[in-house]
Amino acid sequence: MPRFFSNKRLILMLVGVIVLVALISFSLRDRHNASLPERIVKDVVGFGQTVFSKPAQFITGTIGNIDGILNTYEENKILKERLNEYASVQAELREVKIENNEFRQIIDKQEDLNEYNPIHATVISRNPDQWEEKVIIDKGKKHGVQKNMAVITARGLIGKIVVVTDYHSTVELLSTENRNFRVSAVIRSGTSDDQSAFGLIEGFDRERGELIMRRIDVDYEIEAGEKVISSGLGGIFPKGLPIGEVTEISTDDYGLTKMVYIRPAAQFSMLDHVMVAKRTSVTVDGTDGDGTVSTEGEGGS
Amino acid sequence: MIRSIIPLMVTVLFFMEPVFSLFSPITFGDELFTLVPRFVFIFLIFIAAYGRKKDAIVYGIIFGLLYDIFYIDIIGLYAVLYPIISLIAVWVIRLIHRHIVTVGLLALLLIAFLEFLSYGFASLISLTTISFQEFAKGRLIPTIIANSLFVMMFGWFFNKVLEEKVIRRLNDMM
Repeated sequence: MPRFFSNKRLILMLVGVIVLVALISFSLRDRHNASLPERIVKDVVGFGQTVFSKPAQFITGTIGNIDGILNTYEENKILKERLNEYASVQAELREVKIENNEFRQIIDKQEDLNEYNPIHATVISRNPDQWEEKVIIDKGKKHGVQKNMAVITARGLIGKIVVVTDYHSTVELLSTENRNFRVSAVIRSGTSDDQSAFGLIEGFDRERGELIMRRIDVDYEIEAGEKVISSGLGGIFPKGLPIGEVTEISTDDYGLTKMVYIRPAAQFSMLDHVMVAKRTSVTVDGTDGDGTVSTEGEGGS
Repeated sequence: MIRSIIPLMVTVLFFMEPVFSLFSPITFGDELFTLVPRFVFIFLIFIAAYGRKKDAIVYGIIFGLLYDIFYIDIIGLYAVLYPIISLIAVWVIRLIHRHIVTVGLLALLLIAFLEFLSYGFASLISLTTISFQEFAKGRLIPTIIANSLFVMMFGWFFNKVLEEKVIRRLNDMM
């Protein structure tokens, strides 16, 4: 095929390659801030996507309901047993809450890291080429969603917002391989803060399907089965979002800190309804956000 | 209405992809399998085989670009892969007998090629750290199987729609 390499085509091909490399490197450098044309395309495609995902969710929902009805009898038996337990826990919780409020008033503390306003959202699609664990939800800037906010389901933390447009936003899930994705977390072993081990969740072991928490001080005693929650010290996430349960404890590469495997509380597949947790107290750009990303990128990895 | 059936079908397939990827990854036994729906891509190959060659490349560019902007956030990846592989399909189809089975097999082969390229790119910019074996077992083979089901179910339909379109165009010219 000598015709293919005629002068005109060769030049066209070279120009094409140059434009391509420029485009890719340009968009790779700043992936988390969408430019205006990108935002417009994202919102328009998002509306189309919503039209298609609603019926699909209806169908999977119906199948789920049928499945639920078939298991009703068994579940009912278990739930009845649980109900007695629940009543006493409920009563205790009320007492504790009242007490907590009183103490708060005594020490005159208004803000609470635990508190957040949930923004309810629906997952409209998942990144189809699944190199990155991303889903797109149907709430955006206009609804109060901002970058780096925590995204949760009823069972626990699932990820955080990485890109926001006016009406949609992209969520990167905790199950990502991205090492710059950090959540500052705490392992609750005792009842007071002194006995809790603070650390950072970074990384996901794909084979085990478990999260990895690093940079925990060796002095802390950790046992398998202990609960892990978000610490709120990263600056953006609220405190107390359930993340998972400790399964295995080992030491880090250099033996200076502990490393812990965590079985996530939430499921990352078949997501439909999620909540964006908008923290009520002041937010700062800490480890949950981009605060440490640039320095870490140069020094580590 | 018939005139716009091809853009309509590409659009529908484009929006169906992420809906199906909500089911992935599936766990089978102890293993995790990633299924990547490539519906638009399959249709592009069918257009390249049965329809106008230019259509396949133009749709490849447009929908590749939308795919990049909406899902991947890297502009210029699929916007280039889709048209280039469609072009390859156009070349290959000239050499082989154009039968629905061969076109279907060609589509699957090119999906494997696309997956290789996207794996190469993803490991190049370190989006993924999985080994080649893991990629082949956990992603490439399940993807091929899932998409072959799609080809088996809809291949004849694509074939019919596109051939009808060609016949209509020939009639118009006469």
